[in-house]
Amino acid sequence: MKIDASKPLEYSTEENSNKIFGFWVFLGAEIALFATLFTVYFVLVDRFASGPNGSELFEIGPVLLETFLLLTSSFTIGLAIHAMRHGYKKAMMFFFGITLLMGLGFLAIEITEFFTYVHEGATLQTSAFLSSLFVLLGTHGAHVTFGFLWGTAILIQIKRHGINPATANKSFIFSLYWHFLDVVWIFIFSYVYLKGLM
Amino acid sequence: MMKQLFPIRHVLGYIASLVLSAAALAVIYLDLSRAANLVILAVTAIIQASLQLFLFMHIGESADTKKELYLNIAYALFVGLVTIFGTLFIFVWGWYA
Repeated sequence: MKIDASKPLEYSTEENSNKIFGFWVFLGAEIALFATLFTVYFVLVDRFASGPNGSELFEIGPVLLETFLLLTSSFTIGLAIHAMRHGYKKAMMFFFGITLLMGLGFLAIEITEFFTYVHEGATLQTSAFLSSLFVLLGTHGAHVTFGFLWGTAILIQIKRHGINPATANKSFIFSLYWHFLDVVWIFIFSYVYLKGLM
Repeated sequence: MMKQLFPIRHVLGYIASLVLSAAALAVIYLDLSRAANLVILAVTAIIQASLQLFLFMHIGESADTKKELYLNIAYALFVGLVTIFGTLFIFVWGWYA
């Protein structure tokens, strides 16, 4: 393994650089995936049949809280990577842990929201609008759930092995994933919730 | 120590993203025209997405693959936008009808 000391640890070997580049290619595919889900939602948004439409269903309070949690967690994972580059293991683990906890908080609110919707009679089967809504939100939520589990596994590895080229690379790639989920949420916040309520 | 843990660029980027989210709320609390609302949503969302991409994700920092990264993301965005607007053009804006 050839280590290039002039680069940050996460880029320091050829394998590491390739992994980061490969992950960007994966994120490109994720952009296409979410674009198709948004497309379906935009086409079906007015087909709410006998069920509720967006302005009847959505409540801004929990959505603002979800937005705040994801924006803040995106900030803290950025701080974690910054601390990692300075070699501060404790600070990095603290910011990383906070990020995951906020991801968990986001999921708790989203699941509660889903229960509320279903309780109000808005289920996956009620209308085309709700099918597309649940698939779009659910795909994003499933990504956050996976991210929480993945991030937890990385955090354990950092605790055990410290900051080395392998764990730094994994952490950096995880940060790209987490920022990407925040970007997707910004569009859900704007074009699902705010547009639905305006 | 605090300065090293909280780089000013990240803090400003975070504050900017909170402010932009709050600004987007104008579409439900102010009584603006539909066109103005859609412009506000597009502008705030695009600036926020760019903040994440350039500031937090450091897309510009890997010198040897920089061009390929930009091309890859630009192509993904192109495919995504064509999917969204092409479909809207046919099914929602009435070209098919």
